[in-house]
Amino acid sequence: MDREILRRLEKLNQLQLTEEQKDSFLAFYAKQTEEMAILDSVDTESVERMVHVMPIYTVVREDKVIKKYSREDLQKGAPETTEGYWQVPRLVE
Amino acid sequence: MELYLAKQDGQKGKKIALDDMILTKDMPTTAGSKMLENYMSLFDAEVVERLTASGYAIGGKANVGEMCIDLLGETSYYGAVEGEDGTLMTASAMLVKNGEADAAIGLDANGTPRRAAALNGLVCIKPTYGTVSRFGTVSIACSGETVTVTANDVSTAKNVLDAIVGHDDKDGTSLPEEKCAKVKAAEFVPAKRVAVARSLTESASEAIKQKIADAVDAFKANGIEVVEIDDSLLLTAKNAWNILMSAELCNNVSRYDGVKYGYRTKNYTTIDELYTNSRTEAFGELLKTAILFGSETLSDYNYMKMYDKGLRIRRVLSEKFDEIFESFDAVLMPASAKSAYTKADTEENKYIAYDENLYTAPATITGVPAVIAGGVQLLGKAFSENVLLDLAKKLEGAGK
Amino acid sequence: MATKYETVIGLEVHIELATESKIFCSCSAKFGGEQNDHVCPACCGMPGMLPVVNKHVVDLGMTAGMMLNCHINRVTTFDKKSYYYPDLPCSYQTTQWFAPVAVNGTVRINTSKGEKDIRIKQIHMEEDAGKLVHDDWTNTTFVDFNRTSVPLIEIVSQPDLSSAEEVVAYLERLRSLLRFAKVSECRMEQGSMRCDVNLSVRPEGSKVLGVRTEMKNMNSISAIERAIEYETARHIDAIENGTEELVQETRRWDDIKGKSFAMRNKETAGDYRYFPDPNVMPVCIDDEWYDGIKATLPEFPEVKREKYINELGLGEYDADLLTESRALCDVFEAAYAESNLAKESANWIISNCMKVLNRKQMTPDMLNIDGKSLGKLIKLVADGKVGNANARKILDEMFENDIDPEKYATENGFIVSNDTGRIQDVINAVVAADQKSVADFKGGKEKALMALFGKCMKELKGNCDPAVLREMLLKTIQ
Repeated sequence: MDREILRRLEKLNQLQLTEEQKDSFLAFYAKQTEEMAILDSVDTESVERMVHVMPIYTVVREDKVIKKYSREDLQKGAPETTEGYWQVPRLVE
Repeated sequence: MELYLAKQDGQKGKKIALDDMILTKDMPTTAGSKMLENYMSLFDAEVVERLTASGYAIGGKANVGEMCIDLLGETSYYGAVEGEDGTLMTASAMLVKNGEADAAIGLDANGTPRRAAALNGLVCIKPTYGTVSRFGTVSIACSGETVTVTANDVSTAKNVLDAIVGHDDKDGTSLPEEKCAKVKAAEFVPAKRVAVARSLTESASEAIKQKIADAVDAFKANGIEVVEIDDSLLLTAKNAWNILMSAELCNNVSRYDGVKYGYRTKNYTTIDELYTNSRTEAFGELLKTAILFGSETLSDYNYMKMYDKGLRIRRVLSEKFDEIFESFDAVLMPASAKSAYTKADTEENKYIAYDENLYTAPATITGVPAVIAGGVQLLGKAFSENVLLDLAKKLEGAGK
Repeated sequence: MATKYETVIGLEVHIELATESKIFCSCSAKFGGEQNDHVCPACCGMPGMLPVVNKHVVDLGMTAGMMLNCHINRVTTFDKKSYYYPDLPCSYQTTQWFAPVAVNGTVRINTSKGEKDIRIKQIHMEEDAGKLVHDDWTNTTFVDFNRTSVPLIEIVSQPDLSSAEEVVAYLERLRSLLRFAKVSECRMEQGSMRCDVNLSVRPEGSKVLGVRTEMKNMNSISAIERAIEYETARHIDAIENGTEELVQETRRWDDIKGKSFAMRNKETAGDYRYFPDPNVMPVCIDDEWYDGIKATLPEFPEVKREKYINELGLGEYDADLLTESRALCDVFEAAYAESNLAKESANWIISNCMKVLNRKQMTPDMLNIDGKSLGKLIKLVADGKVGNANARKILDEMFENDIDPEKYATENGFIVSNDTGRIQDVINAVVAADQKSVADFKGGKEKALMALFGKCMKELKGNCDPAVLREMLLKTIQ
């Protein structure tokens, strides 16, 4: 991890750190990765990943339409809307 | 310094404080962030509906650290909470402690509610993952986060827990009702053998070691066998959960972008400026750090050695707990390194929560239940809440 | 001698599934609607909602996999893909990265060069993004989340296609199979079938692939054809004449200008940070589920076509028309099973049913009358119990309500009467009232008989065997 990778990482996550915050992030990142040595000390070669802690499967719902919310309600807290659309600056392709 | 970010009066019943991670349709939900200042949800969380249906009164929304990933609420955009002696504490812990609320509902992604309860001599239950619906909570780290109950005593905590436990179709990770029923069962179950986590205890301060010793004495006095065990594998939980939590957090909070609701910067002409400036202006430093770290653990070149490794360590830990709980009814361990924290601690180390995860991550990453009482933490196998609560009863009143 | 080149094409085809509701929430998945009307807190990215998978999406994902001869993954999982774009309200898309529902299939196509099998790499289920409307006047983009979270499958082919003709044949084959299996309506004009074209060019016989470019979101077959021809020529020109340096990139096809353009590539493009979705449990497809879906699979359209011609004696034209649409086949087969009259059943669908569909501005796929009832109606007509005009009235009613044709005919007086006494009474009355026509007919005007016949038929409300009436009428006049 260096400042160049961090710059890209900031872009990827739509964030900007101050110079001071960058230093402190780099130190944090270095510490975290250093500490990860403890993970490497455990052999997990043949261990299956565990995404979900509870062994339940196939949680599905029936294909049924339920309408509960109006557009007006959903857009009440919107920063900018026009005629029922959310609005952002013109995208350039 | 406001404990309640929003308050509600006039309801009858025992009063519940909701951490501001729990969505309510009659009061704003901020998640402690400028991003969600005045954000109004269109629906109540499932836990809120269940509490109301059981006759509890919702007292208000308790201030929380931004996205509840800090040590003790110190990163809230709405200000940190300190006790009279200058120690940090969460708003909900203070509300319960000073009797303004009978109990508090929190979201435990990073151990904060448990930590706060331990530091304040309160009782806190982090139930088995999947037994309380997360529908209507602000998602942070969905694979491990759990709704918690904090109260002054075991029986209040148990009553509130019973009101919120149960299957919910709106949460795809919610367990079937027959599993939830085990947690809801009325009878406490006595424990015969308790293990003490040796290295976790060793790593804590003298004051914390004393609390562990006191708990051991209390258990022994009740005829319970107490054995120290080698817990070195459990030390891996911290870094594994730091990875999983940060990655999931990064993904979950990417929806806060200034487009649909919440904070939008005034300073933009392009969409990227809208995104970047909104997020940069509205998010605090710890959250930004967590997002960037989490993102990096998912990058092509790190995925296998970080995120994927974290998922495998979770399995190793889960199997380790299975093994421990074959011989023991519970594991006793600290919930924090020290018995009190001040602003100086969080200023010196902004990322202190990532270190304190050492004590809270083992239960979070595996989804096993944890109960705080007498300033210490007890972990048990899935659905063993009633064993842990029976042990907690024996510690009540201690550790204040 | 000039080098010969071959084009190597792989397709990623996105198909919106024919479900009622969205993949992870209960909003309507129907096309159209006012902007942001099929939307809830989940599909506009608000906190607190959790995804629960629509079972029918998995049904259709499996169906598509089976129709394309894929292996079905019995444990299939969902993953999150992160990027910022205003049509993606959560800034992540839930898709399948690690264990897609179906893998390793084949699709057989037919072109002027003969038959060829195109290998399918995988089919995965995912959610669609919203719609953006750009406005140059106000320099604004408008965001509509109606399509957000509408279920999609993405069918990823191996780079086995080598010409625009093959691509068209492949797309039409996919469309036919998936419409037949009721997976999707596959309507390109509504965006329910879209296609990303990956293309490279290399000297014939070369084992090394050339530089690959991708054209995204193509939504018309003719545009795809033109785009492939243009891109192939551009690549060859670049290789032979060094007109430009080919780079791996995403390009946008402008069908009006007839050219492709490089899209603005973000520095962070492609960094999607996939990881397993902790909120969606693995979907396990047990034997019961698998076999249940397998049992619903239709015969392939060409199998039906052969059967219609060889076993049921339909003409090629009729067989082609019917096998265009699964709905037509279903109604036809049910009507035939009831009536045992293949040609009549086909005729009723191709002429009468299609007329009603046209009048109602419905597509053949929307034909939803009960085939068994239609068979009963056809039998009533064949047995001379209901006249043609009345039968069409009954058909109209069958489009509106679930009726029993015979009962309905009886209730409305549509049953052909065999009461010759009543027929004779009517004839007598008509003849008495219209002596002019009788005289005209006797004077050699054949048309005059038709006038009398019509009047009698009208008086009898059509409930009379035309042959019987004609015979009795002639007898009376003469």
